[in-house]
Amino acid sequence: MQNVLTYLSIVLTAFFMQVEAQTTSTEVSKPTKYQQGMQKAFKLWQEDKSWEAANLFERIATAETDKWLPPYYVAQINIINSFTEKDAAKLKAQLDKAQNFINDATAISKGNPELLVLQAQLYTAWIVFDGQQYGMTYSPKAAALYNQALAIAPENPRIILAKAEWDIGSAKYFNQTIDTYCKDLQRAIELFANFKPEGEFYPTYGEKRAKQIVAESCK
Amino acid sequence: MKVSVVFFLIILFPFSFFAQSKISGIVTDKKGVPIFGANVYLTGTYDGTTSDQNGNFTFETTETGVQTLTVSYVSFETFTMIDDVLKLKNLKVVLRDDVNSLETVTISAGSFSAGDNSKISVLKPMDIVTTASAVGDFVGALQTLPGTTTVAEDGRLFVRGGDAGETQIFIDGIRVFTPYSPTTNNIPTRGRYSPFLFDGITFSTGGYSAEYGQALSSVLLLNTIDEPVQEKTNIAIMSVGGGVGHTEKWDNSSLSLNTSYVNLAPYIAVLPDRNTWEKPFETASGEAVFRQKIGDGLLKVYGAFDSSNFELTQEDINLAEGLYFKLNNKNFYTNASYSEKLNKGWSIFGGGSYTYANTKVNIDKAHIKDVENSAHLKLKLNKRFSNYFKLNFGVEQFLTDFDEKYNASDFSANIRFKNNLSAFFTEADIIFSRKLALKLGARGEYSELFKEVTVSPRVSFAFKTGKNSQLSLAYGDFFQQPDNEILKFTTDVEAQHTQHYILNYQYAANNRIFRAELFRKQYNKLVTYNETIPDVNSLFNNTGNGYAQGLDVFWRDNESIKNVDYWVSYSYLDTERKYKDYPIKATPNFANTHNLSVVAKYWIDDWKSQIGFSYQYGSGRTYTDLNSPGFLQKKTRDYNSVSLNWAYLLSQQKILYFSINNAFAFKNVNGYQYANTPDANGNFARRKLLPAADQFFFVGFFWTISEDGKNNQLDNL
Repeated sequence: MQNVLTYLSIVLTAFFMQVEAQTTSTEVSKPTKYQQGMQKAFKLWQEDKSWEAANLFERIATAETDKWLPPYYVAQINIINSFTEKDAAKLKAQLDKAQNFINDATAISKGNPELLVLQAQLYTAWIVFDGQQYGMTYSPKAAALYNQALAIAPENPRIILAKAEWDIGSAKYFNQTIDTYCKDLQRAIELFANFKPEGEFYPTYGEKRAKQIVAESCK
Repeated sequence: MKVSVVFFLIILFPFSFFAQSKISGIVTDKKGVPIFGANVYLTGTYDGTTSDQNGNFTFETTETGVQTLTVSYVSFETFTMIDDVLKLKNLKVVLRDDVNSLETVTISAGSFSAGDNSKISVLKPMDIVTTASAVGDFVGALQTLPGTTTVAEDGRLFVRGGDAGETQIFIDGIRVFTPYSPTTNNIPTRGRYSPFLFDGITFSTGGYSAEYGQALSSVLLLNTIDEPVQEKTNIAIMSVGGGVGHTEKWDNSSLSLNTSYVNLAPYIAVLPDRNTWEKPFETASGEAVFRQKIGDGLLKVYGAFDSSNFELTQEDINLAEGLYFKLNNKNFYTNASYSEKLNKGWSIFGGGSYTYANTKVNIDKAHIKDVENSAHLKLKLNKRFSNYFKLNFGVEQFLTDFDEKYNASDFSANIRFKNNLSAFFTEADIIFSRKLALKLGARGEYSELFKEVTVSPRVSFAFKTGKNSQLSLAYGDFFQQPDNEILKFTTDVEAQHTQHYILNYQYAANNRIFRAELFRKQYNKLVTYNETIPDVNSLFNNTGNGYAQGLDVFWRDNESIKNVDYWVSYSYLDTERKYKDYPIKATPNFANTHNLSVVAKYWIDDWKSQIGFSYQYGSGRTYTDLNSPGFLQKKTRDYNSVSLNWAYLLSQQKILYFSINNAFAFKNVNGYQYANTPDANGNFARRKLLPAADQFFFVGFFWTISEDGKNNQLDNL
């Protein structure tokens, strides 16, 4: 069974996002300290200095205790980087750190579907790390989180994408049809076209990935 | 205060208010190795930087006055210092290892944990049920661990030369008084509780925490699931019965139900065994767990009811027509606990359990009815002073009311006793560094029945010998009251006593675990009596004693062979004791010298199947040969059994399962029964005590219905 999960999760790793530019500021007026900090962090990230970006997000998180986005990005960078980390002890420490920041963000913004998806991705990272040990416990948890997120935000294309990708992985393993999930992906792509993030610096990734899977898997 | 300091500083350094200060320094670990990538910043501001490859950092800030500088890096403790920004120059910051991280030493002497995410677990939750020889019985899976003795005809846990009564079982920290279904000679019992409702199992074969008492040899700790993941329904159709389970979730609460019905009649009709069954084994059971979040607290209520009965005639060398035995047992167990994290590092746990057991037994012409009412109450507080020091203390009360009615044609009696016991325990966890940890505890008990106070110190200590290896030492004193079979005849006895000495070495890396444990257990004040079958007129004493010593070895490897996970357990045991009616010190018949278990699981991707294999070996056990001088002087032949199972995933939610115990039909002998009187030649005739059947077959179909369509019962098999 663990192999099913490993398969699933390896597919999922690819999903971890192409960082998409977060440069446009909606406000014309002089950017606030928060906006400047966030923009600088995204810039570092795009320059491939993800740890420095994570450190800056962490600093912003400690200064702005009522904003969920800085801890969200700290957790996300730790999760993404864990997929390439070879040292088991360091990897576990990173995932623990990510969990702490997800907890912080969740305390600020309860029932946030983006955070639920991130939590599911954190579980996926544990499964990829050791499917045998964590697969059984975490894969139903991840699946439940996708369902929960989708129930809250049925029109959020990123959540439709994340859930569809998770489902496609296991359907393929059992040679089951993936038509319904392909339809979900098509719908996600349509929704991405008109997707407006709820606020500044909100996550926007996913469109490219959705198109990529449709091209690869849905014929 | 703060304002005035800032004001004072502004007056002294008026220009610094507008200027930028430069903060600089170096970050290293304890050994002076530079740390690259540490986050260095003034708390609450955006000003900060990341340390470079040489551990150096420099950044500018417009902040002034007293500020908090924070340096954090993964797997180290966060460092903070409070000082004037102008003084934050050329700093030498040394980060301490984070003792909460996984590389920290853990006290491993004596205990095996299963399914704990953060620590090294020897067994994973699914192992409890995918082990070929276990057939879904969690006790069966634990019998593949070192320290246990194969006593095939009994089914309970026998740990390190101790009898089954020396192991106590706890659910969510609360004692279970009657963990096994009662049975009769040569018919193995099973654990009452379904593994399905538990997510953490700790099996300790010695040296356990002061929190647990009334166990001379071992404790088994089962934790129910805190929060189920999703709503689902499980259906099981088996060759011996069926079961239905359901989990329902609400916002702050959830309920899991599990019911099962087992009837061996059809199985025995097809494959008759060595007994003459008037009424084959039948049991109906139901369990439920309800969980409710209350603020930061969690309330759990667990309840289990089961009713079992059977009726048979067993071969007996002294009775030509055989020995008639009929049993009817009703057992109810409930347990409620509440835990909450309070402020300032305090947490509280309170709970209680109640057991009602009603057993009616007919042996030959005698009729015995036992009713036991027992309760356990516990209150525990935990204070975390820092990552390095934690304190745990609590009080407990055990209450038992036992009533037995014995009726035979020539004799009848009614025996009743109450047994109340109060206890206090305290324990400190001290972590000196990632390499050195100490647990110090003590437990005091007062028995109302014996008017006796006992005090048990417990100490364990762990030292990391390398990156992946550690040594642990443990010592402890353990007291346990004689069981109901003694107390119903006399209360003029004292608690029995053991001392454990344990030395444990553990190596764990890359999905491989090696453990070796040397132990010595000293028994004192064991109950003795002067007749083979004691009664109210027997003489009872606490003059028995004994010892058990040996070596347990465990190896698990999940890495070397692709898709194969296997473990090997070996135990060497040397034990003798004088207790009960033993005329001399001898090795009891539930102990043997060598025990070996090999368990392997192979996942075949193309077949979507898991094949399980398990081999159990036990060297011969003692018996008394009446035709030669001596007591427990002979040994039976060695025990061998190979079990196989196959779980096949029909689809994500449907599993087909087959298993066969003792696939090669080894002829195992559990012991011998001798005639009460010799024949004409002065010889005592004997017969072999054979298992009811040499082999056991099982077929099951398991179906899970859940919202996401993914969950299955593979982890419940």
